[in-house]
Amino acid sequence: MTSRTGGGRVVRIVTALSLFLILCSGMACRNSGRTGKSGVMIDPQNLPRLDWAEIERLARGTTVNYGMWAGDEARNRYFRGPVTEDLRQRFGIELRIIPLGDVAETVNKLLNEKGAGKTNDGSIDMIWINGENFGTAKQGRVLWGPFAETLPNIGRYAAGARQRDFGTPIEGYEAPWQRAQFVMAWDTARFDAPPLDIPALIAWIRANPGRFTYPAPPDFTGSVFLRHLLYHYGGGPENFQNGFDESVYQRAAVPALALLRELRPSLWRRGETYPANPREVDRLFVNREIDLTMSYGPAFASERIARGEYPPTVRTFVFSTGTIGNFNYLAIPFNAANPAGSLVVINHLLSADSLLDQSRVLGSIFPLDPEKLTAEELGRVATLPRGPATLTAGELASHLLPEPDVRYLERLEKDWREKVLQP
Amino acid sequence: MGKPGPMNRESPLRHFGVLEWLGILAILSGAVGPVSLLGLWSFTHAWFWPDLLPREWSLRAWSYLFSPDAGVGEALATSLFIALLVAFLALFIAWPAARVVAGAWFRGKRALLFLLLLPIIAPPLASTMGMHALFLRFGLADTLVGVVLAHLVPSVPYATMVLTGSFSRFEIGFEEQARTLGASRLQVWRHVTVPAMRPGMAVAAAFAFLISWSQYLTTLIIGGGRVQTLPLTLVAFQRSGDEAVAAALSLIFLAPAVIILLVVGRLMITVNRKDDQ
Repeated sequence: MTSRTGGGRVVRIVTALSLFLILCSGMACRNSGRTGKSGVMIDPQNLPRLDWAEIERLARGTTVNYGMWAGDEARNRYFRGPVTEDLRQRFGIELRIIPLGDVAETVNKLLNEKGAGKTNDGSIDMIWINGENFGTAKQGRVLWGPFAETLPNIGRYAAGARQRDFGTPIEGYEAPWQRAQFVMAWDTARFDAPPLDIPALIAWIRANPGRFTYPAPPDFTGSVFLRHLLYHYGGGPENFQNGFDESVYQRAAVPALALLRELRPSLWRRGETYPANPREVDRLFVNREIDLTMSYGPAFASERIARGEYPPTVRTFVFSTGTIGNFNYLAIPFNAANPAGSLVVINHLLSADSLLDQSRVLGSIFPLDPEKLTAEELGRVATLPRGPATLTAGELASHLLPEPDVRYLERLEKDWREKVLQP
Repeated sequence: MGKPGPMNRESPLRHFGVLEWLGILAILSGAVGPVSLLGLWSFTHAWFWPDLLPREWSLRAWSYLFSPDAGVGEALATSLFIALLVAFLALFIAWPAARVVAGAWFRGKRALLFLLLLPIIAPPLASTMGMHALFLRFGLADTLVGVVLAHLVPSVPYATMVLTGSFSRFEIGFEEQARTLGASRLQVWRHVTVPAMRPGMAVAAAFAFLISWSQYLTTLIIGGGRVQTLPLTLVAFQRSGDEAVAAALSLIFLAPAVIILLVVGRLMITVNRKDDQ
């Protein structure tokens, strides 16, 4: 009797489970099902000869899989909502967001796919990329192109943004999109004036032991903080633009690393440990364990205030000698299933209208070259809303420094690990 | 089936002393504390040190997660589908292996055990990268099937271990007895083997489910972003540091696991009660 009900129950559970699985698979399949044509292949070599209207015609009715960093609620909402709708109406293109944690993982995946010979029908048509990841991807030949210089809307970006990305020649393998610039933040409720240049910052750290730290490189933000010291001791950014020079590096890196080592006892937890990323620095800042925080996004503090994560009294600042900024880019993977669709989407995202909308909704810096804008567009840029903690576009632009060659960056990260983290 | 006697009804709690109760309290606070903190965070708008409680509350995180923009429903369905399928298949694969391992000693048994447990000893990143290269060749990368197979790799060894334990306590003679009494193979399985093995099966399936449920790296690499499970969504928000959304997502992530544990607990308890009779 007992055994009978026991076996019966297992059979019932298995039946229910199977039914549920079938139901679920229906849902899961529907979600992964593509709408419309899967994509249109184009040989990048034919791009210059193709008429743009022809590309738009080919792309109509296709789906573009956009591999997007998915950690920002406002960004997710904006791209899944208004941007998707806009692309559907204007170009008949279906944008599918593939949420990603980190583009470095995607580049690794592409390298793996290249190694295994998966050269077409890839799962991602478009990625958001820059710097080291672009260098790795271009060197590994996992990008589709060259395409960027054939985009009708690229002409309104400054030439500098189209030539080099952290020293890596772009050569049309990625299209400039948005701009980032390093800023620091402090809470005006705690003290009035922040340290406005590197010597002042060093003095401030010494005078306020335990109240400063930075994310451990190779974290992006920690790494850019280090580069400001490199420029400080190396005589400015000009010396770091044209390839790697060991003597230039040594002249700047030796004092910079010595300083960081010497400052360790004055850092948070006496420099025995470092936060892993800017968010951990943020947490310490909000919890009043430290008094300065930093970010690559000039609007970050305003966003945090709006979300209630920062008190409304937080403000951002840049060094009087300037802070490092860069562009981020859109690229197409070598095995993209739908390069034609990607081209149309990228060109749209690079248009002045779309960029104005992005700045309005996401608070991003308007990236186009002011000299290439019409008076009407300049007027619209001037009236863009700005968060309470965000510096004006003019203040940021007049304090903008370029990134060094990527080899300086890699070497500095490596030496920091060996000489500062574990001397 | 008679009424359970008074001996069976007596709660073991009655014999607990101070130490046992302290232990239970510690376990409960360890489990409930963090979860209630997550609950607080998910409704938080502004929470600054040294405030004991959030200064302002908001429904932002929850309203976002329940909006179609967040894609949480799809991720939840995908996660559940994969985890249930993995639990089912892991049982299926582990069953014969466990039966053999639990049986009599034979030459090479140690080697076999080692091979069976190898997938949990090998570093997951290395094995996943290797799997990805292999799956690419067979067109399994970026597919749901590929992700299920990848999740089976760490799940099957655990399921095998649990079932081995159950089989070693299972008297195979009962099956033979039922067979001599004229039961068919299916009847033996249904009325003899399964009832005896049920607690082990429940625990093994639960293990496999939970292992699949919490996979991040394998899903990311093998699924290539095309297979979106809940941990992928969760990690993206944790990394970006949107505490409210991450906390709310964690609670959603926790719920099915708790339900599974409750179901398994029930399955085991009813069996134990019957054993007593």
